[in-house]
Amino acid sequence: MVEKEWEPKIVAFCCNWCSYGGADTAGMGRFQQPASTRVIRVMCSGRIDPLHVFNAFLEGADAVLVTGCHIGDCHYVNGNEKTEVRYKFLEDMLQQLGLEPERLHLNWISASEGERFAHFIRDVTAKVKELGPSPLKPAGVS
Amino acid sequence: MVAVGDMLVGYATDGGVRKRGASGGLVTAVLAAALEKGLVENVVVMKHINEFEAVPIITDDVEVVLASTGSLHSVPVNLAKYAVGRKVAMPAKPCDAQAVIEQAKRGMIDLDNTYVVGLNCGGSMHPVTTKKMLVEMYDIDPEDVIGEEIEKGKLIFKTKDGNEKGIAIDELEEAGFGRRDSCRYCTIKIPVNADLACGNWGVIGDLAGSATFCQVMNDKGVRLLENAIEAGRIEVQPASEKAIAIREKVNTAMVNLGNTLEGKILTEIPDEARIQYYLDQMANCIDCGACKEVCPVCACGEDSKCTMFHSLVDDYSMSMYHLVRLLHLSDSCIACGQCSDVCPSDIPITILQSRFAIPAQRKREYTPGMNVDETPPFFEVILK
Repeated sequence: MVEKEWEPKIVAFCCNWCSYGGADTAGMGRFQQPASTRVIRVMCSGRIDPLHVFNAFLEGADAVLVTGCHIGDCHYVNGNEKTEVRYKFLEDMLQQLGLEPERLHLNWISASEGERFAHFIRDVTAKVKELGPSPLKPAGVS
Repeated sequence: MVAVGDMLVGYATDGGVRKRGASGGLVTAVLAAALEKGLVENVVVMKHINEFEAVPIITDDVEVVLASTGSLHSVPVNLAKYAVGRKVAMPAKPCDAQAVIEQAKRGMIDLDNTYVVGLNCGGSMHPVTTKKMLVEMYDIDPEDVIGEEIEKGKLIFKTKDGNEKGIAIDELEEAGFGRRDSCRYCTIKIPVNADLACGNWGVIGDLAGSATFCQVMNDKGVRLLENAIEAGRIEVQPASEKAIAIREKVNTAMVNLGNTLEGKILTEIPDEARIQYYLDQMANCIDCGACKEVCPVCACGEDSKCTMFHSLVDDYSMSMYHLVRLLHLSDSCIACGQCSDVCPSDIPITILQSRFAIPAQRKREYTPGMNVDETPPFFEVILK
């Protein structure tokens, strides 16, 4: 039997109005991207609590992506600015905890930027593949 | 009369209170007067049981307040949560005052109703460690101790038979005793965030030991002092230039020491070893939740993120409870040390918390609990 190459598991939180559309556009435009992502749709990136990110890591994610609308474009006026404040805390915290900074990303992707989304996923997948499985992964989860 | 920014030296007029109280009994007298004149409904004081034990009580009896005099270095309890929902006056270490302000920021305490009389603090000790230290370092039976004092860097214990023995605090800390870890790297020694900043630093000459140095920090402080003077409970006089300089000198020395010790206690851990370090430290956690229960800045109540999303059934490599708390407190942890004190598994949670909180707060140039008008950075959204 041929040993299958390890494929990272990446959880991407996508805002309904921008990056989720962006992921859709990436698919419609048939931009190549690895099948490593699990997209979770939220109504606004401001809904993403640091708790969701912790949970993703503890459940076995190798990387977590927080994506939303560009600053100023939020469907709910300033939801993504709240995300940014929280993300900076989260970033500092995970770095102090000893998790590689490459495992957590924040990116603003609009609904028309399909290629940007695909490129982002390719980029992160390649980086995480180099790093290997996350140290927080529970036993028995590949 | 009294104005904001005044530096005063004062003492209680009542001879008994002045003698019993640590350095002049000014704080006790101010608290008693506030209660007497109806400035507040209750006063939070520590009821003395023995040298290693005291219980915080909320009282409306002036006699109880007057009887509570004395400072205890080995009862490190944070009083902030006792002010929640009450109209009280309370004595406070700098970290108590910080916690009161943090609670006020979260809408739990109405600062207009809360009078905080700050006390200088060079650090406090854990009662269990102190008892152990008495046996091992001092060769004294803890039961025989009737008093303690810190003088010129020495910790002095007095015993029933009239003897006293002092050992340098540096020496004690070298041996693993002495002040609690979080007190060693604390750099707020004078409670400038309280309404009055009192203490015995800067009391010199014939008043030494029988008067209190007092700095008036705000309008509430003015009200407290004027009220006590009117009630005839205290007498104050302006502090001399020399006294102010000495107080500042003591403070600078203490703060510098705190900064030096921070590097020694919060040692640098290499990036790749950190995750294992935290896993090892938290391995003994029994999920009792006591650290949240005592946390004086936590205002979440029972239904909080850290407990509601944490389940013992989850087989996670790191506890969700701790992760949420580490993040949640990174902008507001005041390193009061309560969580380490109560931990039944002796996990140094305060140190772990500080490793996250101190860099996060420095980066944002924010010190929690110093100014009620500063929004915690976690809640601050600047509209561009």
